[in-house]
Formats: sequence, C-alpha cells, structure tokens
Amino acid sequence: MTAEPKVAKTPAMIEARGVEKWYPNGFHALRGVDLTVQRGEVVVIMGPSGSGKSTFIRTFNALEEFQKGSITVDGIALNDDLRKIDAIRREVGMVFQQFNLFPHLSVLDNLTLAPVLVRKRSKGEVLNQAMALLERVGIAEQAHKFPGQLSGGQQQRVAIARSLCMEPRILLFDEPTSSLDPEMVREVLEVMQGLAADGMTMVVVTHEVGFARQVADRVVLMADGQVVEEATPERFFDQPQHERSRQFLSQIL
Amino acid sequence: MGPKPRLTPASLRKELFATPLDGLVTVLLVTGLAVAGSRLLHWALAQADWAVIQANSTLFAVGRYPIEHQWRLWLLVALLAAAAGLSWGVLRSRPLPDRPITALWPGNDRLATGILVLLASWAPAALGLTLPIQSRWWALTGLLLLVRWLAGRFGNRLGKTATLSLPLVWPLLYLVGMVLIGGGLGLVTVGANEWGGLLLTLVEASFAILLSAPLGVLLALGRRSSLPLLRWGSIVYIEFIRGAPLITLLFLGQNILGFLLPGGMAPDRIWRAAWILTFFSAAYLAEAVRSGLAAVPRGQLEAARSLGLSLPQALAQVVLPQALQIALPATVGQFISLLQDTTLLSLIGLLDLLGTARSVMANPLFLGKSSEVYLTLAVLFWCCCAALGLGSRALERRLNPPSLGR
Ligand SMILES: Nc1ncnc2c1ncn2[C@@H]1O[C@H](COP(=O)(O)OP(=O)(O)OP(=O)(O)O)[C@@H](O)[C@H]1O
Ligand SMILES: [Mg+2]
Repeated sequence: MTAEPKVAKTPAMIEARGVEKWYPNGFHALRGVDLTVQRGEVVVIMGPSGSGKSTFIRTFNALEEFQKGSITVDGIALNDDLRKIDAIRREVGMVFQQFNLFPHLSVLDNLTLAPVLVRKRSKGEVLNQAMALLERVGIAEQAHKFPGQLSGGQQQRVAIARSLCMEPRILLFDEPTSSLDPEMVREVLEVMQGLAADGMTMVVVTHEVGFARQVADRVVLMADGQVVEEATPERFFDQPQHERSRQFLSQIL
Repeated sequence: MGPKPRLTPASLRKELFATPLDGLVTVLLVTGLAVAGSRLLHWALAQADWAVIQANSTLFAVGRYPIEHQWRLWLLVALLAAAAGLSWGVLRSRPLPDRPITALWPGNDRLATGILVLLASWAPAALGLTLPIQSRWWALTGLLLLVRWLAGRFGNRLGKTATLSLPLVWPLLYLVGMVLIGGGLGLVTVGANEWGGLLLTLVEASFAILLSAPLGVLLALGRRSSLPLLRWGSIVYIEFIRGAPLITLLFLGQNILGFLLPGGMAPDRIWRAAWILTFFSAAYLAEAVRSGLAAVPRGQLEAARSLGLSLPQALAQVVLPQALQIALPATVGQFISLLQDTTLLSLIGLLDLLGTARSVMANPLFLGKSSEVYLTLAVLFWCCCAALGLGSRALERRLNPPSLGR
C-alpha cells in the first residue's frame, strides 16, 4: 500500500481527529471526537444509548460518512477516494450485534466468500484456513450447517471467524454480546479474549464490565456525541473523574 | 408452519361437521359439486362433439406453420422434453438443504409419472390423432421419463458448478428453439406470420419471461439506487406501465414502435407484441423484486461491504440471492398471468391460441362448438400454468436455507 509518506509514519492503527457527523435529517451525532488506537491495543467504548458509539466506530470502515475532521486507518486517510475505502475495508473487520451472517450460505461458504472474491485467493487454500479458524472458535463440527441452524452464540463465533478469514489488522465489535442469551455471552467473550491475547487490535463497543476490566487497555466513555472520559479500566471503573461517567456507571454496575 | 395435519376419517369429521351449520354447508357444497361434476363429465363424454378439435388440432398447435418444416418443431419439443426431464431429475437428485435424499422416485413423482403415462395412452387416441403423431407422443413421454430417470440416478455426480449452471439450459434452448422455429443458420426461413396457435403463444410468453426477468431486476435496483436520475427514471417507468391496461399498451405499441424506430428497423407485429409484453411484465417484476430487496435486512449489505466486497459483488452474492428467493412466488405468479395475458394478442389480430380458436369458431362448419373449444383452451392453459407452478415450488423448497425452526 502506498500512502503519503508523512501519514505512513504515524504508528497508530486508528487516528481520529475532531470527527463530526450530521445525519441527513440534520441530527448532530458526532461532535468533534478524538481517538487514537495503537497497534495491538484493545479499546472499549461505553456510553448511554444514543451517544453515538455505533456511529463512531462505523466511520472507521466508512459504513458511515463524516463531514468534518480526519480519520486515518493503518496509515490510509479516509476520504472520498473509493479505492482507499475498499483498501481499508479489506484491513478492517467488523462484528455486528445482529451477527449478519449470510443465511443462504453454509457456515464454510460464509467464511470463504470474501477471501476468494476480494483477496483472489484459491478456494482450496481458503478452505483450510477457514476450517482452522472454525476450530479456533470451537465450532468446526458445524462447518456444513447453515446459520439458521446455529444458536446465537455459535452464530456470533462464526461471524468472528468470518472476519478473521480476511486476515484483518483491526477488528471492530459493535455490542457483540447484546443480543445473546446470558449463557452464550461467555463463549463469545472467551473467543474475543483469545484474540486480544494474540495481539489483535480491537475496538469494542460493549457494556460487559468484566471483559473491559480484564481485557481492555483503555476505556472510553461517550455521551452526546463526544468523548467524556478516557482512562485505564482500573481508573475508569474505580475512580471515574467526570460526573457523566459516575452517572453512567451507577446505571450499569 | 407446523407439520401437515394428517387426514383421517375422524379429523375429516371434525373439520367438516363441527357444528350443524358446518355440516349443512358441507352437505350442500358436496352435493352441488357432485351434480355439477357429473353433468360436466356427461357432457364431455356423451354430448360434446370433439370433431372441431380433431379437425383443427394442427391449427391449434402450430397455426399455419408449413408442413414440410414441422419436423423442426418436433425436434424442438424433443429437446424441451429432454431438458425438462434433466431439470426434474437433477432437482430430485439434490438433497434438500436439511434433509438427505429420500428416494429416487418419491410419491409426488410417481403421481406425476402416472399422469404423464395416462395422458400419453389416452389423449392421442381420444383426440383422434393420426398414428404417426400418436407414436411421437409416446416417444416424447418415454424420452422425458428416461432422461428424468438418468438425471435422477446420476445427477448427484455433477459438480456444483455444473448444477448451478443447469438453469442456463433454458435460455440456451430458447436460442436453439428460435433458430429451429424461424430458420437461419442454414435452415429455411419460416416467417413469424406463419406461426400460430400454441406455438405462437409459447414463443411470445417465453420471450417475455426470459427478457423481463433481468429487466425487472435492473429496474428494481434502479428504483432503490442513490442516483436520482436512475431512481426517478425507474419510478416513472414502473408507475407508467402499471397504470395502463395491457391492451392499450399493445395497441399503442403496434403504432408507436412503428414510428419511434427508423424505417425498416421496426420489428414486425409479432415481435412488437413480444416487446410490449416484455416491457409490461418487467414493471410488475420490478415491484416483486423490490419487495424482495426490501425484505433483506440492511445488515446483510453492511456485512458484505465491511468484508471488502464491492457494491456489485455484494449485490450479486449476498443481497440478490436472498431477495430473489423471497420474490420467487410473486415472480412466478407474474409469469403465470403473463402467459394468460398473451390471449390479448388475439385482440390485435394475432393468431395465438385464442386468436386461432376464434378463427376456427367463425368457420360455419364448426358453428356452435365454442364450449368444446374454450374447454380445450382452458385445459391447455391450465397445464402450462400448473407446470410453472410445480417447478417453482420445487425450486423454492430447495432454495430455502434450513433453520432451527424447521
Ligand atoms: N440514520 C440515522 N438518521 C438519523 N439519526 C440517526 C441515524 N442513526 C442513528 N441516529 C441517531 O444518532 C444517535 C447516535 O446513534 P448510535 O446508533 O450511534 O448510538 P449508540 O451509542 O450506538 O446507541 P446504542 O447503545 O443504542 O446502540 C442516536 O440519537 C440516533 O437516534
Ligand atoms: Mg449502537
């Protein structure tokens, strides 16, 4: 990848500066958000509903546009250049609250679709990797089933494996456990913990305090389209500095 | 959908005679149906005079298609029978996504086979067809069933690509068929004005079905596009066509296509009508596909895009397969009404099935035989539509991805 040299020197994986976004209906969803994510870092974003968490992380892979500020991902500046957006999407994986598996494809085909189409890799080679990934998230025996035949927790693990099959440098998670039954939350969090231990760069929107405490390098609290507080998990949960943070924590703890 | 309730005498009694009123309705309906049915049967077997059909069977089938070239049509029918057997057998040989293959020749298929055999052994004789034509009917039935058996037996040895490209047999066969029917590539030309009857009806309907399908998909995508010009163009087109009765479009088309296109370029009446049918059907298909597109969750496109698929890739691999599957029943419904709408061609003077029938009934020799003719027409149309419906349901069941709920 060739980017302008002065940008390429930035060591950060994600560098967001003064990002502002208005939805087409005029709603001001992001009001100057800054965030830096280093390589290998795990950043957890928390905040009340409607505070702009999803909107924010969806700007990282251009699922949402923004109007002001700048975002660079792995040295590539996000602007209107469509080729750059494609390049960034190849390097950024995303896991959704609703899994969004492709219901008409088998589990294995869900994994191999993008690497074959986008990375132009051979099907056989991708198949091996896909099986290894399913092994890693613990559902190799479901490889030939269809998404509709799996439990929510299994589906979300397939979704993670599907993202990994593109060999991304960053993984974005938007409330990956929020639509799961409580007994399935752990199996998904364990997979995510394993990824963090392997050094994957991750930005995770979640309200799982246990996960944030154990895995996150930093916790960011968003409210009303702004970053209110940014701190290590210990500081954030034990000595929150801002009134908004205390208020939020009192609601979820 | 729960499991099918089994029909037993007890369940029947519960369904049909739950209350005295229910019982009364059941008795009245059953008596009414029985009386009407036996009258119809009595009329068809004893009173009706089927000579009008026998004398004009060739006219109904192919119109004034020159007799020395009719072997080309027989060849085409043989190819169609083989293709139908192939599709049928391969569909059977593939397991449903969540069920292993049960039997090579399950109950439904035995029933269909029985009907085909019965038809072949009774209809040609009853219709008073000549022996050569009778034996061709038998041979065609045999060919269909033979290919069905072979494809059912060995279809699962086909690779995935071969199976997926199998539907392409049909458009390909359409091209071959058009050459066989119309001539060219060394065959003597038979002008479209010499086609008629069922042949013309099927040519018009299949042309419109094959071309309106892709056109409808493009229009549906256009209607949801973010490019204003494309979106508004599609909306205006769809709403204009859907707002006008087909018959007015057909009359309009006969005149307008004539002076829109430069001299000599304008297709003759039969192809003009085929294009109008295509444009008409495409607008309705676009609405069916649009409802399918709307039913696919937004997250599907987002997931595909976030994996790096381009918009065309995401549409082709992720969104459209799901949308078209949802739209399939409505689409086939549209194809069935298209087939029936071809009867309107008789009003613009074409000798399609209905046009041929009207010309036959106008013949003083066959005065007063309209019941026989109309009943034959109804049965013919019913057979074509039933075949479309059966095929689409078999396809639907195989496309439905399995889920926990089933
Ligand atoms: N397409 C849209 N058009 C207009 N406003 C929108 C749109 N999508 C989101 N919003 C608004 O933007 C704000 C931020 O939404 P966002 O989904 O980012 O919040 P969130 O922090 O992820 O909330 P949650 O915890 O409920 O997921 C909300 O007030 C929402 O109503
Ligand atoms: Mg959200």
